[in-house]
Amino acid sequence: MSKKMSLKTILLIFFVVELIIAFFFLGKTLHFGSQKDTGKKIWFEEKTETMNQEIDFDIQPDLYVKKNNVDEPWEFTYGSKWLYGKFVKMFGDGSAILNFRLWRMLLYLDIFIILVAAFIRAKSSKLPSKIQLIFEMIYGFIDDLVIETLGENRKHFTQFFFTIFLFIWLSNWTALLPIPGISEPTRNLNVPLGLGFMSIALVHFMSLRKRGIVDYVKGFCEPIFIMAPLNIVGEVSKVISISFRLFGNIFGGAIITLVVSSLTHYVIVPVGLNMFFTMFAGTIQAFVFTMLSLTYLSMEIVD
Amino acid sequence: MDPNTTQILAKGIAQGAAFLGAGICMGIGALGPGVGEGYTAGKACEGVARSPEQAGLITRTMLIGQAVSESTGIYSLVIALLLIFTT
Repeated sequence: MSKKMSLKTILLIFFVVELIIAFFFLGKTLHFGSQKDTGKKIWFEEKTETMNQEIDFDIQPDLYVKKNNVDEPWEFTYGSKWLYGKFVKMFGDGSAILNFRLWRMLLYLDIFIILVAAFIRAKSSKLPSKIQLIFEMIYGFIDDLVIETLGENRKHFTQFFFTIFLFIWLSNWTALLPIPGISEPTRNLNVPLGLGFMSIALVHFMSLRKRGIVDYVKGFCEPIFIMAPLNIVGEVSKVISISFRLFGNIFGGAIITLVVSSLTHYVIVPVGLNMFFTMFAGTIQAFVFTMLSLTYLSMEIVD
Repeated sequence: MDPNTTQILAKGIAQGAAFLGAGICMGIGALGPGVGEGYTAGKACEGVARSPEQAGLITRTMLIGQAVSESTGIYSLVIALLLIFTT
C-alpha cells in the first residue's frame, strides 16, 4: 500500500466513524462542563429542548447554563487553573467559540471536502468522468471570473476564491441533511465573521505588498489626513457588512423555514422552503461572498 | 400596588415593546430593499431587451447588486431577531 493510499484510507475510516457516532447518538447531546449533581465532566443527555430553545442557546449561553445546571457553559479546568484564568481573561469564557455542534459540523465539512478532492485527483484523467466534469465546470467558472476581474497574470488567486466558494456553498447546503443536531456552520456568526476577516486581511496584505508601507499608510489619508478615522471605519465596516450579509441570509432563512414548517405540521411546505432558502439563496450568497471579496481585492491591486 | 406585581407588569411591558419594535423594524426595513431590488430587476430587463447576447453577464451583475442592496434588510432582520430572542 502506498503512502498516498494509506492517508486516504485513514481519512475515509475517520469519516465513517464520525458518521456512525453521529447516527448512534441521534437525539442525544454531548455536554462538556461540570454537572452539579453528579460531578461528571462529560455526559450524554436525551435531547429535550425544541428547535426554538436551541436558537436561544445559540444566542444566549446564559440560558444554557440555567437550564442544564452547570457552572459555566464550557469549562475546561483539567490543566492548571491559572492558565485557564489567563485564557479566559484574554478570549472570554469561550462559550461562543467552543460550540461543540459548530466544531462537529466544520469537521465533517472539512473532511468531506478533503476526501472529495483526494478521490477526484486520484481518478482524474484526460477522459473526464461526470463528477470530474462538474468540478471542472465550477473551477472554470471561478477561473473565468478571476481572470476577468484581476487579469491574466493573477490567475493564482483562483485557488483561494474557489476554496471559499466551495466551503460556503457546501456549508449552506448542509441544511438539506435531515439529521437532528446538524445545522449549517454559517448559521453561527463566528464562521462568516472569520471568513470575512480572512478575505479583508488578504486584501490588505496584497495592497501592502504592492504599494509599500508609505503609500499604504498614505492611502488611508486619502483626500486629507483628517479623514483617516473615517477611512479606517470604512475598512472595518467592510468586514461587518460582508459577514453579516451571509449570516443574516442563512439565519433568517433557517428561522423562516422552521417557523413556517411547524405552522404547517411539516407537510410538503418544507420542501419548497428548503428549495428556495437553502439551495437557491445558499448558492447566491456563496457566489456573492466570493464576488465581493474579489471586487475588494481588485479595487486595491488592479491599476 | 404590590412590588411583585409591578415587576411582572414592567417585564410584560418591556417584552411587548420589544415585539412591537421588532415588527416595526422589519416592516420599515423591508421597504428600501424591496424598492431597490425591483428597480434593479427592471433595469436589467431593459438591458436584456436591448442586448440579448449579454444576458448572462447582466443577470450576474443584477444578482450581485440585489444581494448588496438587500443587506440593509438583512440588518433589520438581525435586529428584529435580537429584539425577539434576547428580551
